[in-house]
Amino acid sequence: MTDPRNLTPTTTGTAQIGLSVPNVTVRGPEVPRNIEALDPVFTVSGLSVFYGDYEAVRGVDMTIGNREITAMIGPSGCGKSTVLRCFNRMNDLIPGARAAGKILYHDEDLYGDHVDPIEVRRRIGMVFQKPNPFPKSIYDNIAYGPRVNGVKGKMDDIVEEALTKAALWDEVKDKIKQNALSLSGGQQQRLCIARAIAVKPDVILMDEPCSALDPIATTKIEDLMQELSRDYTIVIVTHNMQQAARVSDRTAFFTAEVDSAGVRHGRLVEFDETSRIFTNPSDKRTEDYITGRFG
Amino acid sequence: MAILSTPRSAVQLASKGRPLKEHLFRIALMASLAIALVFLALLIVYVVEEGWPRLDSTLWENQPSIRRPETAGIQSGIFGTLWIIGLTALMALPTGILAAIYLEEYADRTKWYNRLLELNISNLAAVPSIVYGILGLGIIARWMAFGFTIMTGAITISLLVLPIVIISAREAIRAVPPSIREGSLALGATQWQTIYRQVLPASIPGIATGSILALSRAIGEAAPFLMLGAATLVRFNPEGVWSSFSVLPLQIYSFISRPQEEFAILAAAAIVVLLAILLLMNSVAIWLRNRYQKRW
Repeated sequence: MTDPRNLTPTTTGTAQIGLSVPNVTVRGPEVPRNIEALDPVFTVSGLSVFYGDYEAVRGVDMTIGNREITAMIGPSGCGKSTVLRCFNRMNDLIPGARAAGKILYHDEDLYGDHVDPIEVRRRIGMVFQKPNPFPKSIYDNIAYGPRVNGVKGKMDDIVEEALTKAALWDEVKDKIKQNALSLSGGQQQRLCIARAIAVKPDVILMDEPCSALDPIATTKIEDLMQELSRDYTIVIVTHNMQQAARVSDRTAFFTAEVDSAGVRHGRLVEFDETSRIFTNPSDKRTEDYITGRFG
Repeated sequence: MAILSTPRSAVQLASKGRPLKEHLFRIALMASLAIALVFLALLIVYVVEEGWPRLDSTLWENQPSIRRPETAGIQSGIFGTLWIIGLTALMALPTGILAAIYLEEYADRTKWYNRLLELNISNLAAVPSIVYGILGLGIIARWMAFGFTIMTGAITISLLVLPIVIISAREAIRAVPPSIREGSLALGATQWQTIYRQVLPASIPGIATGSILALSRAIGEAAPFLMLGAATLVRFNPEGVWSSFSVLPLQIYSFISRPQEEFAILAAAAIVVLLAILLLMNSVAIWLRNRYQKRW
């Protein structure tokens, strides 16, 4: 803990003198910065999330690039899942939860008065931490989204296409009418991804999608994410830093901060290209976290 | 290397008297269970033995009669009970399930009126059935002028079982994991679609089980009907919801209060029929629960 420079994997002249003072980040001058996504799907500015009177997350600014994988990492209770759940307005379901600040989805204010959260969730799908297939057949799990959204067309084709995209078709094509709960955990999670794909979303949010899975199933999901990022924008919350490093284009590091009144808030510490976050972070807290000193 | 240096003699795996306590506790638990079961068995043996001479087809083919107790039947009581339970199911189950859906899925528990509602439903479930009889007599039979008809009885019994239906339906709805609702809502389903297509189908077995148990409680009720001043010796079957009627528990009560030995036998036989209906309903409930029990 004496000299932070020794822990930096690559020392490309990034000045790190001011790191003992919170919130002071000094960028290396010779490397051009490109934290703003060129073609943003989400533009978050000044986002704070409240549960009742408690401000769980304070002042988040970030952009989510189109057809990119953005990872959100950080210790437990730092608000990364809370921010993720703002992107499809799942926080609306928690009594007393509200968001302040602005999230633009393309050019539209996600929290605007005229916005229907149902329509938001149709375009912005979500995969949860624990696989949560419906207690129905594999087929009905996939067909559920299109059906509730009133999609006409050949359901068999929609189901096959979604399962194929989720790399699950070959494993389940002979037991498509079987209960989805008979699948293994990793298969269930890919089913949940297929279910999200079936409504043809624009964005897929993933809230620690591999934390309940074994390493082999995790690898499959990670490969799948790479594959899907050609067609979809993906935002993933993960506790696993290696996972963020492996799959994502950009990484946002969150942490919990205690303000002058003694209240903990989740804060976005650093948001940058993944390669830079993991090789040359600007903030000492990011560095401490990724080197395993904290969190 | 503390483990290696532990002397062999220090290892004590022999029992220290715990098994005896364990056994005593087990015996106490089983004895408590046995008390309940033994009395149920005694009751069944007693009524079957007592009612045996009358357990033949005349029992449900004939109507009650004061003059010929040896051939009197309970047909009007069986039909009356079936009518009441059927109509009660029609009225109380949809109402109770919808109320439970509101309380579980829509009600904001931070609002005082929703908490008041919840508290009062628990209170209602504990109200003695005779009080519902007073309510039925005063409001439905007299003030609404429905008289003593199947309709009056069924409304009264519906009010009686409604809190139980609501409470058991809420339990069943609450047992559906929140992750199922989230999964559905995250796909762009509306709240009603989520309830109708996910929550209700998943909780139907639990709701059905609770509803059957609530209805089988209603079958055994005599007190509210007594309060309503129901007839006991109705000699015809109900023809519709506005017919007058009698129910099995009430007929049993009236038979037993008569001096002749034949009426005691007839009452025992009627109790066997009532018990048989109850056990049948409860076994359907158990079957439903086991057949459709969800594992998450």
